[in-house]
Amino acid sequence: MANYFNTLPLREQLNQLGVAEFMDISEFADGVSALKGKKIVIVGCGAQGLNQGLNLRDSGLDVSYALRKEAIEQKRDSWKNATDNHFKVGTYEELIPTADLVSNLTPDKQHSSVIDAVMPLMKEGATLSYSHGFNIVEEGKQIRKDITVIMTAPKCPGSEVRAEYLRGFGVPTLIAVHPENDPQGKGLAEAKAYCVGTGGHKAGVLRSSFVAEVKSDLMGEQTILCGLLQTGSILSFDKMTEKGIEPGYAAKLVQYGVEVITEALKQGGITAMMDRLSNIAKIKAFEVSEELKTIMRPLFQKHQDDIMSGHFSRTMMEDWANGDKNLLQWRAATGETAFEKTPAGDVKIGEQEYFDHAVFMVAYIKAGVELAFETMVEAGIKPESAYYESLHETPLIANTIARKKLFEMNRVISDTAEYGCYLFDHACKPLLAGFMKTVDTDIIGRDFNEGKDLAVDNQSLIAVNEAIRTHPVEKVGAVLRRAMTAMKAIKTV
Amino acid sequence: MTDPVVHIAQLNLQYAHDVILDQLDWQINRGECWLIGGRSGSGKSALAKALAGLEKTSGTVQVNIDPQSPLPPRVLYVSNWYQFTNLEGDRNFYYQQRYNKQQKNDTLTVYAELAAYANSENLLLEDLAKYLVLFEFADLKATQLIELSSGEHKKLQLIKALWLKPQLLIVDEPYTGLDKASRQKLNGFFDELASAGVHLVLITNETDLPSCINRFAEIEKGKLKQVDSVSALSMDISRSRKVIPPFLTEAPALSADIMVEMENIRIRYGEKEVLKGIDWTVRSGEKWLLQGHNGSGKSTLLSLITGDHPQAYANHIRLFGHRRGSGESIWDIKERIGIISPELHWYFDKTARVWQAIASGFYDSIGLFRQVSYEQQQKIDQLLAFFELTEDKDRLITTLPLGKQRLVLLARTIIKNPPLLILDEPCQGLDRAQTALFNAVVDELCGFGKTLIYVGHYETQLPNCLEKKMVLEKGEVQVIEEMSELAY
Repeated sequence: MANYFNTLPLREQLNQLGVAEFMDISEFADGVSALKGKKIVIVGCGAQGLNQGLNLRDSGLDVSYALRKEAIEQKRDSWKNATDNHFKVGTYEELIPTADLVSNLTPDKQHSSVIDAVMPLMKEGATLSYSHGFNIVEEGKQIRKDITVIMTAPKCPGSEVRAEYLRGFGVPTLIAVHPENDPQGKGLAEAKAYCVGTGGHKAGVLRSSFVAEVKSDLMGEQTILCGLLQTGSILSFDKMTEKGIEPGYAAKLVQYGVEVITEALKQGGITAMMDRLSNIAKIKAFEVSEELKTIMRPLFQKHQDDIMSGHFSRTMMEDWANGDKNLLQWRAATGETAFEKTPAGDVKIGEQEYFDHAVFMVAYIKAGVELAFETMVEAGIKPESAYYESLHETPLIANTIARKKLFEMNRVISDTAEYGCYLFDHACKPLLAGFMKTVDTDIIGRDFNEGKDLAVDNQSLIAVNEAIRTHPVEKVGAVLRRAMTAMKAIKTV
Repeated sequence: MTDPVVHIAQLNLQYAHDVILDQLDWQINRGECWLIGGRSGSGKSALAKALAGLEKTSGTVQVNIDPQSPLPPRVLYVSNWYQFTNLEGDRNFYYQQRYNKQQKNDTLTVYAELAAYANSENLLLEDLAKYLVLFEFADLKATQLIELSSGEHKKLQLIKALWLKPQLLIVDEPYTGLDKASRQKLNGFFDELASAGVHLVLITNETDLPSCINRFAEIEKGKLKQVDSVSALSMDISRSRKVIPPFLTEAPALSADIMVEMENIRIRYGEKEVLKGIDWTVRSGEKWLLQGHNGSGKSTLLSLITGDHPQAYANHIRLFGHRRGSGESIWDIKERIGIISPELHWYFDKTARVWQAIASGFYDSIGLFRQVSYEQQQKIDQLLAFFELTEDKDRLITTLPLGKQRLVLLARTIIKNPPLLILDEPCQGLDRAQTALFNAVVDELCGFGKTLIYVGHYETQLPNCLEKKMVLEKGEVQVIEEMSELAY
């Protein structure tokens, strides 16, 4: 199979990369009617599969689960998830031929074999739905021409998709129709109905394309979201313990700090995150982040280039074929880091302290979000798509670190994200080695403001504020966040 | 040793601009056990928290721990309302999720929680057994914390406090969610603790008290005022009957004579059968009381009606004339039901203000995500006046006394004038006066063709409008009868 993106002429590549239309809620006035009374069969019953299915059923749709014969016979977790919630469960052979819409919610790695098994069983003119476009774009899977191919991608972990739905809200969602597979022109109506069924229409929907989703999703997850948070956590912890900060305190400051800091990011963008600092700390964080951006920019560009050329997916798929040799080895190494092995201390850290004692972390997150956003936009991805795959998802990943550190993050994210995360981490640490020698506990571990005169020069403060507030990620963010006004505030630890 | 156990002098506490405690003096001497009662909003809980060092105050709060005592040198405060803070990942949960089965144990079990507590407090697990048995907790050891009912959570909290035996134990509304038998058992334990040397402070207006209580007080204008007995405590001023807002007097447009029809309802979790063949019909306009011990299956039964339970799709249930699972969405169902439950309150948006919370009732959402029309705003204002909440409309719900918080939730759920009201222990944690007020409002609202299902423990503390009663016992119907036939 050839990489789909690479088969396209440049004009069509740019055309598909540039699909990003933020949809108004009025476009969802038809509700779930395009799927009403139709048979939806979900393949796979993990976190996304189960939770999307629960939402769709609670929206009045007919949902059942097709699982592999072995999964049913051996009563695996996916079978238990589906049957314990009283869904109809059957084999591919039993259920796929009856389906009007087949939703493939298996892990990326299994997509090719799942599609090979499912496609011949699908009835003429049915619809195939994905939550991620990797299989279509990077693996270049060809789908039968009578089948409509759509994507509905909630930009949150499965449990969150369910929790927000039950609160009467939803999570921001990307929808797309594959231009090679829309023979009846029904793709968009069904993608919208699916999105309403999962509750996504209430939180802001971006109409995207398979290409734009994949190229931005891969870039976001391996740089700012997972890679950068992993590197930042390890570097911050190691620096603190090297300089004599109590390890329990250091572990807690990092583990929960990323969550508290990025909560400000979620509610008010980089501006709000930086505004939590005192004026002198903000100016310091700005300077540090500018320096970090200069050092890390070539690495971000390399990741984006490798994603665009298909080099990244090709080498990763080689590792899949090689029994995940690299992935498993890197995963084990992450479990052995000092940060991972040091439990968070039983010390009280106030909400503001997480900012004042971690100016470096604030600067580092700002640098990462801006770099990821800038690099994606330079590569032809629209600002709206770039926003979702950088700033928007950062707090969600930070939540997983707060739960059970890097182990939990790497467990929750996809294999693709995990693989890219390690690539980034391994390249980024040596890149920052020289810089880290200049870092002391004033910007990570202790209160930056302590013992300092808090006065600042008007002109420098004005210039710094101006630079933060007018960054393009802040402009597009202000518009998109308005659609997600009621994001719930997390509890402070 | 003659030092008082507690010496409080010139204690001041403010919430924003409201003075709660004003130059308050209080002394607890050896051998004294106190009851603090009186009006809601007078500052009882604030004083209890201040005593435990949980509030920002000025003045002196001195607790003299006895170094010779074998009891742990600790001051423990058990709050009136159970706050779940020690659960990993709980911020990603919403309460209805506990009905969704997923093969991933994200939360601790009861036993793991207690074992961790034993470890951190140096307690012996063998001392725990009698509390588990008496609170009927022995069967719940393997249950995940998120699966416990609210009453069970309160018991777990009490179990921990009794087990610890701290030198000073402050319990805010200790009888929350407990039935009569459990309350008596609890009083027995309190007396045991007191004779072992624990100094007790109970915050309540209940009259069935442990015999060790020998001092009574209330707070008046921010100062402590000692009284002779429970009966001398001030009571809340009773509500004057108000004209109900006109939009609530429109009888709901009914689509069916039968609101709820359930046939042979069976719910099981793995080996455990929670509901064992329930038949129940609720006709339009009926006012039902639903009772049963903690864990008898009441909340599960109600969750089948409110669209929160996935197993509703596998049972024979008709709601408002339609078979469940015939193409309706849970939002179609919720639109017709007004609901309050301890869990709803527990997981309610902590950043919500009174006005926004009531407005969110139009959309059945936790948090307000949409604009409210002028007509809707008028309804909200009328309800605020009816509930005597106009002055509080911009306040954070969490800063109101518990009784008022529940009235806000009742206003939120009634704002859309739903045909069916489901009030699941709506007075849990409220004292007598607050409960009486709440039930009076329910009676006023429940004319005009509304159907009511009310879950409550104590038969002396119920709305007058109730006509029929169903009692569940271990997942089965024990009694269905007319309320008028009951001798109280």
